[in-house]
Amino acid sequence: MVLEKIRELIADKIDCEPGTITEETKFSDLGIDSLDVTELVMSIEDEFNIELEIDASMVAVSDLIKAVESKIK
Amino acid sequence: MIKSPICDMLKIKYPIFQGGMAWIADGKLAAAVSNGGGLGIISAMNAGADYLKGQIDIARSLTDKPFGVNIMLMSPYADEVAEIVVSERVPVVTTGAGNPSKYMQSWLEAGITVIPVVASVAMAKRVERSGAAAVIAEGEESGGHIGELTTMAIVPQVCDAVSIPVIAAGGIADGRGVAASFMLGAAGVQLGTRFLVAKECSVHQNYKEMVLKANDISTVVTGKRFGWNTCRSIKNNFTRNFSKEEYAPDATAEKIALLGVGALRLAAVEGDKQNGCFLAGQISGLVNKEQTAAEIIKEIFDEAEALLKGANSWVK
Repeated sequence: MVLEKIRELIADKIDCEPGTITEETKFSDLGIDSLDVTELVMSIEDEFNIELEIDASMVAVSDLIKAVESKIK
Repeated sequence: MIKSPICDMLKIKYPIFQGGMAWIADGKLAAAVSNGGGLGIISAMNAGADYLKGQIDIARSLTDKPFGVNIMLMSPYADEVAEIVVSERVPVVTTGAGNPSKYMQSWLEAGITVIPVVASVAMAKRVERSGAAAVIAEGEESGGHIGELTTMAIVPQVCDAVSIPVIAAGGIADGRGVAASFMLGAAGVQLGTRFLVAKECSVHQNYKEMVLKANDISTVVTGKRFGWNTCRSIKNNFTRNFSKEEYAPDATAEKIALLGVGALRLAAVEGDKQNGCFLAGQISGLVNKEQTAAEIIKEIFDEAEALLKGANSWVK
């Protein structure tokens, strides 16, 4: 569920097929830089009604999923 | 007399900050700027708590006016300097190179006014939510670490997105830049390069000469390829080598990271014109004389005031 929502938000942001995004996908492979990650995190926060920490270790979709799951569980 | 909400918030006469330039913005320069009516800022740079404590003591011995500390969040010592600003009751903290949210709570509890440097609207909204009192929207015209947006583009967009005051930074060196910043919606300005040549600035004389000699096309951006350390500095042997290595077919992020190690110190302390990295903004060409910090501030605001008073002449 979390993966699907994140996929959807990323796909909407960079205009790609959600199906091409997996947990292993790195932001750098999608051309998403640190400023884009901040924006992405903010839309995820709105979507799940949570607050996340952003740091330099957030490099792949799986990192985002982990961060979200730790907040909603 | 130009006044803005920033003056009341920080108890300063002029709404101007001196940028927290690593290896340059020490306690002596910060005190001179604060005595001149602006907000002097000490750079905590990549140094530990002892260095910062020493510089705070120097600033306090030279001024009773408010001053700030700039914390580079990528610094390996960020945790310990974040504690020192609390125990020393530093009135203002500005942050750069990252997201300050991890420290925000302890700073706010200590009564510190936190003003992060932001390079995008999303970042500005985030820090406003965490309790920032204002933000510094910095365009890529500035020296040192930079984002992608220009000052002309980022300042009005950040002003529209947040309800806290916005300080404009990047590409401002004189009264024209200050007047324009106010027109973009800013409530204050931050200048680095112009204060670098202040008489009270202890940076190596060769560094000042490089800035004074520089013209409009003297600076270059390096570090863009790997994205994590994009910096503007004055073109020299160091930047030419860096660019060559950065775009070499066998370049890796790790290899490139090593190229910059120690280069700021070589520039600021040793004045090594060949191998140092002389961070400076695009407006270096406008900076052509050494003055005291107080003279710089007064000249800039006299000019800005005259310009803003004359702005009506455009409206027919």
